[in-house]
Amino acid sequence: MTKPDLSVTIAGIHFRTPLIAASGTFGYGTEYLDVVDYSAIGGIVVKGLYLEPREGCAPPRIWETPSGMLNAIGLQEVGIEKFVTEKMPRLCELDTSVLVNICGSSLEEYAELARILDDVDGVSGIEMNISCPNVHEGGILFGCDPNMAARVTEAVKKKTSLPVIPKLSPNVTDITAVAREVEAAGADALSVMNTIPAMAIDVETRRPRLKNIIGGLSGPAIRPIAVRLVYQTANAVQIPVIGIGGIASHEDALEFLLAGASAVQIGTMGFVDPSVWRKTLDGLEDYCRRHAVAAISELTGAVET
Amino acid sequence: MRRDEKATLVERRALSPDASLLCFRSSFLASALRPGQFTMVRLPEAEGLLLRRPYSFCDAEPDREQFSLLVKEVGRGTRALARLPEGAEVDCLGPLGSTFTMPAPEHRPVIVAGGVGIAPFLAFSRALRAAERDATVLLGGRTAHDLYLREEFEALGMDVRCATEDGSFGEKGRVSVLIDDALAGPVQLYSCGPTPMLVKVAELARERGVAHQVSLERRMGCGMGCCLGCVVYTSEYVRCCSEGPVFDADSIQWDRDRHPL
Ligand SMILES: Cc1cc2nc3c(=O)[nH]c(=O)nc-3n(C[C@H](O)[C@H](O)[C@H](O)COP(=O)(O)OP(=O)(O)OC[C@H]3O[C@@H](n4cnc5c(N)ncnc54)[C@H](O)[C@@H]3O)c2cc1C
Ligand SMILES: Cc1cc2nc3c(=O)[nH]c(=O)nc-3n(C[C@H](O)[C@H](O)[C@H](O)COP(=O)(O)O)c2cc1C
Ligand code: FES
Repeated sequence: MTKPDLSVTIAGIHFRTPLIAASGTFGYGTEYLDVVDYSAIGGIVVKGLYLEPREGCAPPRIWETPSGMLNAIGLQEVGIEKFVTEKMPRLCELDTSVLVNICGSSLEEYAELARILDDVDGVSGIEMNISCPNVHEGGILFGCDPNMAARVTEAVKKKTSLPVIPKLSPNVTDITAVAREVEAAGADALSVMNTIPAMAIDVETRRPRLKNIIGGLSGPAIRPIAVRLVYQTANAVQIPVIGIGGIASHEDALEFLLAGASAVQIGTMGFVDPSVWRKTLDGLEDYCRRHAVAAISELTGAVET
Repeated sequence: MRRDEKATLVERRALSPDASLLCFRSSFLASALRPGQFTMVRLPEAEGLLLRRPYSFCDAEPDREQFSLLVKEVGRGTRALARLPEGAEVDCLGPLGSTFTMPAPEHRPVIVAGGVGIAPFLAFSRALRAAERDATVLLGGRTAHDLYLREEFEALGMDVRCATEDGSFGEKGRVSVLIDDALAGPVQLYSCGPTPMLVKVAELARERGVAHQVSLERRMGCGMGCCLGCVVYTSEYVRCCSEGPVFDADSIQWDRDRHPL
């Protein structure tokens, strides 16, 4: 049998493998160069960016939980200008697709980021982190309200010809409502999902484990929830879905693909095992051979219910 | 150049009821590591831990392709590592982070360590010895058995002075009681240990105008500069794993994080 085709195309963006590095877990792309086999990585989503640099939360910022971790980094980042002048040129040297993850405190901030990125060489697409507080609406998260999520998507779409990929939060009553609204507003694909708000307490000191008190839960602990949300989302929209949440192996990645994802992102497990990329890709290739799958894209949504 | 290396536990030596010196075989790490650097250790999956844990390289014997870690049991990860059977394999990502730098020729090195904070200084003392430098080593602990590796430093010919909080060995009190005497003349300070001790040493060093390198500990997610979980405040949040763990103590704003762990 010929080599299975492991590449995927999502919203016009070519990914040489279906494995993408998740925002906030792969820095600005070059940190792992001496340790990770980059040829197994199809794309990199960089750390979330606002217009201005941000200091982030006070430590402690992370805590391990059963099969997962909590983080409250508070979106410490370098700001768009430094990203474009200092980080982007180095990302361009990598032979992989680059998605820029953007955040905003207002519709205008998202829109301005999109306008700036539209002209930047080497950017393949924009992933919108909509789990950010909207300062003009009392700090309510953009992604928690389908209407607000749609408005911010529309504002970004107006300013760029790049593919726009809202990243949905699991912290909603009905993810399909948000998914349909942002699709109607012009989203080209969806990333599902961001971390789950969670908390842990040191009972000896009675203090929360994180200075920020609440953090985002990631890692294998959240995987079944993410698989369910990908399944529901993919069934609700026509646009492609990128699956995210606790992927540690090719079996995990396959679950997301079968549930309806066209590609997956890996975050936390890259911290644990830098060889997760190569092992997962090899596992996918072997699966395709064993199941006579000519192209990995055939598996999207192929769960039999 | 960093790698994720398999390292085999070849010897375990108990130093106290809750601390052990673990000797591992890995020719790459034994020759690549520099004093002050650390490794992120992943235990066999059966231990049920997710994240790796950071440990300073304690000692290196490149000729024997071995390095050692000094491990104090404070939670699940440290306990599982300290209790691994000889012959077990772990994954060690490293060498990571910044290094101690050699003191200027006119400066006498003074090392201040509290408890397990002594870990990074054995390799560093060997490097000092190889450069024919003498050092004063101030060891502090709650009780006598917390003065880990005292004999090793003495065997290297270092001037070792001890303090215990219960007075069971050396001076009674915290390690800071030893500092005043040790700071006479031109000195370069090196420190590692609990945060309150480091703050105290940094204050003293600043008052006296003494140069001071400090090795800091933070919870770490990746050790590679990607998660931003490990930050230390200088004039902004910088990464303990990448800009550190060894910092110029004057660059740290200690009042910005008193309870970083
Ligand atoms: C650069 C560096 C070098 C280190 N070198 C050594 C060493 O040589 N020997 C050694 O025994 N320990 C060392 N540590 C500390 C060691 O990493 C922690 O003790 C360990 O991660 C705790 O894991 P655990 O699962 O046992 O504890 P957990 O069950 O996770 O937590 C138990 C307690 O330890 C604290 N803790 C968690 N992570 C860290 C951390 N990274 N540093 C300090 N405290 C932490 C927690 O806040 C909690 O109070 C070093 C840490 C760093 C950052
Ligand atoms: C330390 C850390 C930082 C993160 N930072 C961001 C971020 O800046 N923007 C974002 O959209 N998601 C961020 N995430 C979420 C991840 O991109 C991903 O959605 C989540 O971790 C679930 O995937 P995983 O279980 O594979 O880690 C972060 C996650 C972690 C663990
Ligand atoms: S431990 Fe992840 S950035 Fe330092």
